[in-house]
Amino acid sequence: MSTQVLSIDNLSKHYGKIRAVDELSLEIEQGNIYGILGPNGSGKTTILGVVLDVINPISGSYKWFGNKPTTADRKRIGAILETPNFYPYLSAVKNLEIIADIKGVSYDEITEVLELVGLTKRKNSRFKTYSLGMKQRLAIAAALLGNPEVLILDEPTNGLDPQGIAEIRNLILEIAQKGLTIIMASHLLDEVQKICTHVAVLKQGRTIFTGEVAEVLQSSTIIEVSGPDLNAINSAIEKCDFVENSNIEGETVLASLKEGHDSMALNKYLIQNDVAISSIALKKKSLENYFLELLAESND
Amino acid sequence: MIRLIKIEFKKILNNQVFWVLAALYVLIITSTFFGVQTFINDVVKDAGRSAPIPVTKISLYNFPDIWHNLTFLAGFLKMLLGLLVIFFITNEYSYRTLRQNIITGLSRREFLISKLLSIGIISLCATFLLFIIGVILGFMNTEEVTLAMFFGNFEFIAAYFLELTAFMIFALLLGFLTKRAAFAIGLLALYYYIIENWLNYKLPDDWGDFLPLQAVANLIDIPNTQLMKLFGLNFREYIAVLDVVVVSGYSLTFIYLMYLILRKRDM
Repeated sequence: MSTQVLSIDNLSKHYGKIRAVDELSLEIEQGNIYGILGPNGSGKTTILGVVLDVINPISGSYKWFGNKPTTADRKRIGAILETPNFYPYLSAVKNLEIIADIKGVSYDEITEVLELVGLTKRKNSRFKTYSLGMKQRLAIAAALLGNPEVLILDEPTNGLDPQGIAEIRNLILEIAQKGLTIIMASHLLDEVQKICTHVAVLKQGRTIFTGEVAEVLQSSTIIEVSGPDLNAINSAIEKCDFVENSNIEGETVLASLKEGHDSMALNKYLIQNDVAISSIALKKKSLENYFLELLAESND
Repeated sequence: MIRLIKIEFKKILNNQVFWVLAALYVLIITSTFFGVQTFINDVVKDAGRSAPIPVTKISLYNFPDIWHNLTFLAGFLKMLLGLLVIFFITNEYSYRTLRQNIITGLSRREFLISKLLSIGIISLCATFLLFIIGVILGFMNTEEVTLAMFFGNFEFIAAYFLELTAFMIFALLLGFLTKRAAFAIGLLALYYYIIENWLNYKLPDDWGDFLPLQAVANLIDIPNTQLMKLFGLNFREYIAVLDVVVVSGYSLTFIYLMYLILRKRDM
């Protein structure tokens, strides 16, 4: 049975007339790498701010680990909200010592987390001398202090160059292997697709989709086939063992393939079975299309 | 509590602004009392010499009057300590480290207590500094020191500690309210030097004594030097319980207000 890590119930936060979060509910379970995906201003940071107890909601509630939130809970969570926030005049080590003092953990862990994020060489430099990528990595190191059960990352690759982005992503995947629950806010679909197991798509403070990323990606390879006899094509395709399902839509047959198969394989199969077709085309349905579709649907 | 002090020390002791302001404070206090002592003393002594009535030659730095004299004069420099406090608290806002501290697992109460502990420690150090200066100057200027003379007027030391602490708590409140160093410093200066004086002038009779910073200033009244006596002025030579109560009352109210600000305001 899976354990509830965070559950948000009917949460609302308004800034004047703007509904930053609007009656939002969300369940996050242990071991999830949960992506909160949405355009800028869709309420991602506000939600994280509320569950981290730095923003007061106007209504609704949330529970950490199945209980009413307490200060002690926050010591089980490692979090960065928006930008990395440290004392600029202090070195990385001194900054992490303050975090360790707050969490009540030993300084011994500091060496370990600095090694993990690759900042050992610069550990005694002042925070203000760090590049943006180094600041992000230090923030992840800080969040990892005290072996948290949950890691909250808010736009962890924001403002980084491609190399920095790749580094941070690898780091997150590395951390994820340790079995931590990770909650990550992002406006980058690609990022969520590459890192997350679950996703909630947000628009104007509401969820318009929640579910597993794999579920969305399963329907990723869709092939459009057309020809003189649609029924014949469809029935032939249905018998194919690497086709998930197929159906006729308008003037084409839409077939979704199982993972690892492409349009060429389907074409070969149809030729072998003597089915005449006039065209075959790949209609990739990535998370991005899905996301755009969802946003478009919710506009109606 | 040790944990909170440890955290505060890390934040404060590695900060250059702290050391600059602290050094400035120590420098001004010591140079005023040591370097300028001859000047002030001569003025006071001279005033006695040319007086129509006989006045005993008396130094500002005689036990036990020294405690009253020193604490009164040093009180003018508390503005520097106020600036120090404002820098600390507004830094926590501008670096967004207040928010990060809370996210990391510090409670709002702990955060406020840690700031109050800092203020208490700064007050203690400043009071101790004044005490040391008092001991040195007192022994240099008093011909025969008895225990009673040394400890006479000692309550002024305690009042000085309260004066600094209460003033810094007020500065901390302004820091919390404005979140910005420039605003808080401007507001503190404006309020301290202009607004309260104007209110004091406008308010009927003694009401002004109940204004927060006026009450703080009232703790230690102007010392009655021989010079003052010449003009027939007579100031209070003791600490009034009422002043202590008013100042403590304000401080507790301000602490509660700060707690409410932390509690209610989004970070």
